[in-house]
Amino acid sequence: MLNELLAKLDAVTAEAKTLLADAKTAADVENAKNKLTGRNGALTALAPMMGKIAKEDKPTAGKAFNEAKNTVQAMIEEARERLGASKVSAEAVDVTLPGRRWPVGRKHPVSQTIDECCAIFRRMGFVVAEGPEIETVKNCFDALNAPVDHPSRDPKDTFYFDDGRLLRTQTSTVQIRTMLAQKPPIRIVSPGRCFRRDTPDATHGVHFHQIEGLYIDHDVSLADLKSTLEAFATEFFGDSVAIRMRPHFFPFTEPSVECDFSCVMCGGKGCRVCKNSGWLEILGCGMVNPNVLRNVGINPEKWQGFAFGMGIERLTMLKHRIGDLRLFSENDLRFLKQF
Amino acid sequence: MKVSLNWLKNYIELKSTPEELANTLTMAGLEVEEITTRGVIPSGVVVAKIVSREKHPNSDHLSVCQVDAGGGNILQIVCGAPNCDAGNVVPLATIGTVFPDPEGGKDFVISKCRLRGIESFGMMCSERELGISDEHGGLMILPADYVPGTPLNDLIEKDTVYTVEITPNRPDWLSHWGVARDIAALCGGRRSFPHMSLPSPEGFEDWSSLVTVEAQDLCPEYTARVVRGVTVRESPQWLKDRLEAVGIRSINNIVDITNFVMMEFGEPLHAFDTRFLEGKKIVVRRAADKEKIVALDGKEYELDSSMLVIADEKKPVAIAGVMGGEYSGVLPDTTEVLIESAYFNPTSIRMTSRKLGLSSDSSYRFERGVDRDMLENASSRAVSLILELAGGKLVSPLVKVETLKEEHPRILCHFSKITSLLGMEVPNMRMVEIFRALGLGVSDITDDTCLVTVPSFRADIRETADLAEEVARIHGLDKLPRIPVNAKRTVSFRSDAYAALEQLRDQFVAAGLYECVNTSLIDEKAALGDLIFEKDDLLAVNNPISLDLAILRPSLLPGMLATVKRNISRKNSDLALFEIGRVFCKNPAKYPEERDELAILMTGRAHPERYSAERAVTFDFYDIKGVLESVLETRRTADYKFVAAKDPRFTDGVCAQLMIDGKAAGVLGKLNDKMTKGMRLQHDLYGAVIQLDQLLNAKEKSGLYVPISQFPPVTRDVAFLAPADMENSTVIDFIRNARVPNLVSVEIFDLFKGAPLKEGTRSMAYTLTFRSDERTLTDQEVNEAHEKLRAKLVSGLGVELR
Repeated sequence: MLNELLAKLDAVTAEAKTLLADAKTAADVENAKNKLTGRNGALTALAPMMGKIAKEDKPTAGKAFNEAKNTVQAMIEEARERLGASKVSAEAVDVTLPGRRWPVGRKHPVSQTIDECCAIFRRMGFVVAEGPEIETVKNCFDALNAPVDHPSRDPKDTFYFDDGRLLRTQTSTVQIRTMLAQKPPIRIVSPGRCFRRDTPDATHGVHFHQIEGLYIDHDVSLADLKSTLEAFATEFFGDSVAIRMRPHFFPFTEPSVECDFSCVMCGGKGCRVCKNSGWLEILGCGMVNPNVLRNVGINPEKWQGFAFGMGIERLTMLKHRIGDLRLFSENDLRFLKQF
Repeated sequence: MKVSLNWLKNYIELKSTPEELANTLTMAGLEVEEITTRGVIPSGVVVAKIVSREKHPNSDHLSVCQVDAGGGNILQIVCGAPNCDAGNVVPLATIGTVFPDPEGGKDFVISKCRLRGIESFGMMCSERELGISDEHGGLMILPADYVPGTPLNDLIEKDTVYTVEITPNRPDWLSHWGVARDIAALCGGRRSFPHMSLPSPEGFEDWSSLVTVEAQDLCPEYTARVVRGVTVRESPQWLKDRLEAVGIRSINNIVDITNFVMMEFGEPLHAFDTRFLEGKKIVVRRAADKEKIVALDGKEYELDSSMLVIADEKKPVAIAGVMGGEYSGVLPDTTEVLIESAYFNPTSIRMTSRKLGLSSDSSYRFERGVDRDMLENASSRAVSLILELAGGKLVSPLVKVETLKEEHPRILCHFSKITSLLGMEVPNMRMVEIFRALGLGVSDITDDTCLVTVPSFRADIRETADLAEEVARIHGLDKLPRIPVNAKRTVSFRSDAYAALEQLRDQFVAAGLYECVNTSLIDEKAALGDLIFEKDDLLAVNNPISLDLAILRPSLLPGMLATVKRNISRKNSDLALFEIGRVFCKNPAKYPEERDELAILMTGRAHPERYSAERAVTFDFYDIKGVLESVLETRRTADYKFVAAKDPRFTDGVCAQLMIDGKAAGVLGKLNDKMTKGMRLQHDLYGAVIQLDQLLNAKEKSGLYVPISQFPPVTRDVAFLAPADMENSTVIDFIRNARVPNLVSVEIFDLFKGAPLKEGTRSMAYTLTFRSDERTLTDQEVNEAHEKLRAKLVSGLGVELR
């Protein structure tokens, strides 16, 4: 009896092998499955024989039966896997076709730089302030301690209106407005458009954007300024950027300082952009001139502070390696899409 | 300005290398922009004496010279210079001499060559060819006693020259003596004053009526001295070297001496030939209006009464402090000179220089303010050098006309204020040391204060903050400590003026638009291209660079239209752009003078990145409206709607007004042909112009939680035939106002017109959603409400139910 069973199991396994090897479609596999393990399948038909096996042969028979069943099952699964793809082919997608995107826009690189600068200074406790672009001589020059015959006031360099007002040449005007409106302590940055009477070329325009900062309190010092600017430089350009401060002259600050960043192009080794000095002039800054404080009714004996200003386009050009200022106002879509 | 290190060495010992010193000065505020060396001659260039000169047989301008190159070595040199005469001692570049290219290009090597058939064994050189000066008119002529064969490099003075940027607050740096002062403060060492000797005042003539100053406000101090019997001639080599190093051409000994003293002490001097001073008088006065003078540059200038002149009895002989007159200067046959050393009002000199468009080394210094206390020294130094180099005899005392000098200002310096301003500890005595090294007087030193007396050459120092700068400069900004940055709050961070704009830009970017930044200044025609503006609305600057950049943009549309046109011409044809920016209006009845505006322009395909049918979909009115709605929803705007409108810039029937909080906030629609003329559009152009204050100040929806119903909704549809001009909002408002119980929303879901519907009608279909917060609604009550509404639509709106 045992031998008969074993022979029949071998025969079913061989049949399964042939049937499944011949299967061309998923349907063929399912037919084969029915013939083998279905209700009337060849393997199913052998199950009753187990009852007739002698007691001592039962473990051997049971083991052989299970092995055959597993083998057939595995062959069916293998065949299903092999031919299964055609079963879902109607739903298949070309995953390399473009997705149905939500529309994507971009902020202008100048706005991006302004946003980033504001974000950095906000984290250091500054609040952003704004003001008008048409200004008075008082707010743009007088209150900022610019001498009456300072060249920056000249109509060669500054745009004027018939009524004597002007287009602001710097956003320091916002500092004056804030100091007149608010009692110290004051801690602001003011981004905005400034106008200079420059003939447009690759590095000049009739206007540019600036961000200026002002911090007035009882004990704000030049060391605070240095630390603030160092934090800005590394936040904006990365940890490898170093700064250095050089004494300079501006009417609205005393002491006045020019702040250089180590060249972001060459890492300070010297290149064309930094004129081989390893340094880039980025900022004018210093301690607010006591005369400026007096002009806005703040007592310089009690209050002191720093101010700084830098050009947004210059920062943007350095960050993105943009060589021509005019690209900013052309607004070519191929340019806007890059940032 | 240029600074010669050899010159500086006359006053102070330089201990560091030129590069180190340049860095020290730069870090102290005297920025060295360039370092050049002078007098380095390529090896191979030797002294040579021309033995003979013959005309080149095959050339009109070349000569064939036999040249003694030393050691009995006679070389044949073909030369094109006009002055290669026999007997001249000249520099000769022998074969193998290498001239490096100043631009960093290929070296130039002297080799044996054949010029028009005659062999040449080297090149005789001009000053320019040797990098000594720009002189290239002929060969450089060397002193006759130079020995042929000597390397020229051993005979020419070497110098290092800095090009420095002088800030306007430091006129004292416009002199070598002044620069040496800061070097002494920075590097240590003492300056030594140049030696000068003047004859004792015996035997001087009476010159008391020589100088009259009529305009003392413009000339607080004038001094003059007269030297008789001078010989005008070429300056000695040392004097030429000094001047050429700092970029001043040598003219003759007298003029060179005045320039030398100017570069030495920063005091511009002027030498007049007394022959040309009528009445032998100097009158310092205002010019008469329209008075004319021909200056040394050969040009005639018309003066006015704000300008100061130096005149004789009859005519002006110099524009004071700016430039001398053509016929009053020193000539080769001059024998008697008057040396002027004066202090002129800086503002007056600056205005005169600016009005005349004429500036000089002299005006540059006077307008920044020269050191009044050095006038006499400068005069003495010049006279001493004249007597030494031009001979003659000093025949006058120092004739001086002056107003009272201001006292030297005194500052009570609080040491603690300086350390507080700097944020670094500097010992009090170090500060005192710095002040003294810079030539400031220090007295009355206590633990907290000292009294600082400021000399006349430092008009920039007036209070403690100025002294803090001196301490910072000399002690070194690199010593400032790093301290933690605190984020102390001054005012509420919510008062941030920019955050709202930043957020709005982000919202339009999120809606799929690209941001543009256009120019504020445009031309009038472009400005009037926005048809709601007239000429009287435009703000113009009165000194534009050109008419193209004369008008402040009245709206963002002109710039945005130009941007679209530019992009289309560059084949960027699918555009969804916006700008947020400042615009200007002169007419307060229309708009405030300055306001912020938003403009959107959209044209071309809505989804260029898609394929098949979707690719062809182009922007239409509902895209631009959709962008605005998306942003308004993002902003949680409480009350906005769009109403049909007419606008000269938009196509009739495709134009709407955006109302926010019941007020007009802007317009949108399809731009009409007048606006898009010449743009070569391939698709319709849709635009919106929105006033930003309306958008930013709009009321927001309440932020308070509204409970969410736990019960299921029931929906019913209603469809009807309506007149074609019945607006969706009319239907929605009608249904909302019908007070249908439990109705929570009405949404349009279908709209169509045309056959088989009647002409002039359209079918509108709406989904009504009913829901209660308290219970599950029954079919019956919903049906009742639905039926009631259907009846009301017929009676109230006159539509025909379908």
